Amino acid sequence: MRIPALPKSTKRSLIKSDPVLYSAMVAVWLSFAVFIFLPLLSLLWTTFFVNGTFSFANIKKVWSAKYNVRALYGSLILATAVSVSGTLLGYIFALAVTRTTLPKPLKVLLGAVTILPLISPPFTSSISLTLALGPNGMLLKALGIKNFSIYGFIGIWISETLTYFPVAFMVISAILNTMAATLDDAALSLGASRWRMLRTVTIPLSLPGIGNSILLLFGASLADFATPLILGGHTFPVLPTEAYLLITGMFDLKGGAALSFLLLVPALVVFFLQRQLLGTKSFVSVTGKNGARTEFAQLPKTLVVAISAICTIMVVFIIYLYAIILWGSFVKVWSVNNTFTFEHYRYVFKHGRKAIGDTLLIAFLSTVIGSVLAVVIGYITQRKTFIGKRFMEFSSMLNYALPGTVVGIAYIIGFNRKPILLTGTLTILVAAYVFRYYATGIRSVVASLEQIDPALEEASLSLGAGTLRTFTHVTIPLIIPAVFAGMRYLFIHCMTAISATIFLVSVRWTLLTTRILESMTELQFSQASAFSIVLIVIVFAADAIMHRALGMITANFHRPQEASYEIIGA
Amino acid sequence: MKQVLKRLVVISLVILTATALFAAGVKEEKKVGGSLNVYSIMPEKYATKIFEEFTKDTGIKVNFVRLSSGEALARLIAEKANPQVDALWGGPADTYEAGILEGVFESYVPSEAAKVPAQFKSPDGYWTGIGIIPLTFLTNAKFLKDHGLNPPTSWNDLLDPAYKNGLQMADVRTSGTATERIYSLVNIWGEDEAYRYQKKLHENIQLYTKGGAGGAMPIATGQAASGVFYIVDALDIQQQGYDLVISYPKEGVSYGVEGSGIVKGAKNLEAAKALMDWASTKRLGDVMVANLINYIPTRPDVVVTNPALDMSKVKLIDVNIAWKGEKRNYFVERWIEEVIQN
Repeated sequence: MRIPALPKSTKRSLIKSDPVLYSAMVAVWLSFAVFIFLPLLSLLWTTFFVNGTFSFANIKKVWSAKYNVRALYGSLILATAVSVSGTLLGYIFALAVTRTTLPKPLKVLLGAVTILPLISPPFTSSISLTLALGPNGMLLKALGIKNFSIYGFIGIWISETLTYFPVAFMVISAILNTMAATLDDAALSLGASRWRMLRTVTIPLSLPGIGNSILLLFGASLADFATPLILGGHTFPVLPTEAYLLITGMFDLKGGAALSFLLLVPALVVFFLQRQLLGTKSFVSVTGKNGARTEFAQLPKTLVVAISAICTIMVVFIIYLYAIILWGSFVKVWSVNNTFTFEHYRYVFKHGRKAIGDTLLIAFLSTVIGSVLAVVIGYITQRKTFIGKRFMEFSSMLNYALPGTVVGIAYIIGFNRKPILLTGTLTILVAAYVFRYYATGIRSVVASLEQIDPALEEASLSLGAGTLRTFTHVTIPLIIPAVFAGMRYLFIHCMTAISATIFLVSVRWTLLTTRILESMTELQFSQASAFSIVLIVIVFAADAIMHRALGMITANFHRPQEASYEIIGA
Repeated sequence: MKQVLKRLVVISLVILTATALFAAGVKEEKKVGGSLNVYSIMPEKYATKIFEEFTKDTGIKVNFVRLSSGEALARLIAEKANPQVDALWGGPADTYEAGILEGVFESYVPSEAAKVPAQFKSPDGYWTGIGIIPLTFLTNAKFLKDHGLNPPTSWNDLLDPAYKNGLQMADVRTSGTATERIYSLVNIWGEDEAYRYQKKLHENIQLYTKGGAGGAMPIATGQAASGVFYIVDALDIQQQGYDLVISYPKEGVSYGVEGSGIVKGAKNLEAAKALMDWASTKRLGDVMVANLINYIPTRPDVVVTNPALDMSKVKLIDVNIAWKGEKRNYFVERWIEEVIQN
């Protein structure tokens, strides 16, 4: 079954037939022009024009080095491994939360713990992983394992899987939650076994979530430079790290830009693969024709046991890693003087107050603006047909697909000249976050819309409501869980991401994450831990407040099914 | 229905406010009077203390961000058309030399620059040295005891199989500490021999760290055994209370010169000049000594109290700074090709 197309608009121009869509598109293209194309074109210019003439010299120079070719393979292998393992782990957690009868407090714990790796800056978990599994590591000693080296592929893979699987978890559990439980009943009453139900109903219907998650994780791993920087050593180079090293170490902006261009190719391939995979099937399960609400069916017993075991091991491991950080923040000198002290927290609140305030403001603004944009873009690209639709989809993902390092440098080059002079401002930081991390929001809005029968909107339209009214009264309430999932991810990322904005912090606007990295490089491990803990607590608290506030605002938008969504997170 | 409308109004108000705030960001491009904006390559913990004293003395407030030397230079170049800061503080002199070629620095000879020896400042006044830092070996004391070893006193001692998978030192691509290592080795043995040595040294390397000081903490906690650092980083971690041994190779070490300079197009030029003037006086050296900031002051008349900074028994190799700047990229590329590529 194909999704039926919306009624074709008449031959009149778009501006008259659908002024709302028209103005939304103008706004979106305008923002793309300024915050995506302008910086990237400036960067292209820097890369391909040597003294004003077109030249491949920069590219050629970079690609003649064997080490860089190795880095390309490294990036691809790593991103593939992380997207598969992260999605698998995320799916297992999502099943545990949405499809098992584990006690509710346990589910809350699961949700809360999986958020931990996501809300702490990536290098924080890398550090605690080093302390646990590195040379002379505590966990290795405790388990009596010798000759294990965390530096290289293994270390990055473990660390990135831990860091990114919560994304998979959030995306997939949102999809699993909005599925109609009646389908489970139908499968079972038609005589299917629970395994068969899982294989033929649950998994196929969650394909948009799986594809989405693989794409997001692949992109995230492809762009991550912090983890390979700490754990890669010299044996496993990856492209973003090499680009970062070229730019920051050798002042070689052109070389770094040239290196990162190759990253665009794999990102594009994955993007189109996903369209290919999902474009041909219908995933409509919210039709407005649902019968009485029933519970989701239980999973097979053996699977429940396996899922519980995996979740338990992961939860214990994650808690252990964070306990190291927590402990570190309260001791006087790491591993030498273990006297309990608040000294590091006093330092954080004395010297870090500005960073905390700035970070919160920036994250708040980015989340609000980014979510609005994500809903608009996700909606018009999934539901409407217009010229340049694919290009819009692709453009919206550009800043996300490019390594943050490159986006950061592109922003510096692009916004340091008139007419748009933004370096050193709040705007440039907010824009960098919005156009980089709203991608999750767009994807989850799209995935959610794919599940919702357009007939619902058609009904509204044929009853005389306009585009805007249909959008705010029918579509929005239906996709709220997905918007919410995207929003939380956006907020969390704005609080913790560093790769693009490390180049954009200024003497006026600074970020908590750069302070943490700074403390790390200055060997103030306890201080860095205290900063990290403060950051984690703030994100947790803000996330909870956001959840509450959103719950109140959207109380009567919720369909009864969404009640179970609460359990996903704190 | 009315309720829904009301909620929508609330939501749109929130969005509008946010957008207004967002737009406001574009306009807050204002200068702060009586203050100074600085990129500091010097670690934050030192810069905070030094700038505090500067503010006490002059009343000029300093806003700064700490950056690695590569980032700082990349930014200064990128921001050339619209400089965001007035001065660059700390960081190796060869970074300044590279910056001069890109035209990002303003020439200014500070009031007491004459008291600073010629090899510690730019002949044209583009930068003035504020401290010097020799390289040193930093070794975990417990490791030495467990293996019955003496602290390393020759570069060749680090080739001992006991150090296998035990050395952490900075990555040449990102760290001035690491390039300093190559300058030392090339001046001791000549280029080819220096690279042959590094290939052998590579066999014992556990990890090359991004920052010059990155390996110090792992060595302190026993994750790694030994490494090569600038004295300022080595002493700092030792002062935190870890059981570490600092030693020097008999073949000698070169040293880094920490610079300071004014950015071309500085918006607070007078304040930037005031900082340079202040830094050229004896006062800066005294502040560093009093706060246990372990750079050796460039002014010979500052009394250094820490015996670890007494260089009379250390063989220091003088390396021309212009040569460093010239050779840097070549050395880095050769390092990638020959040392880590296998």
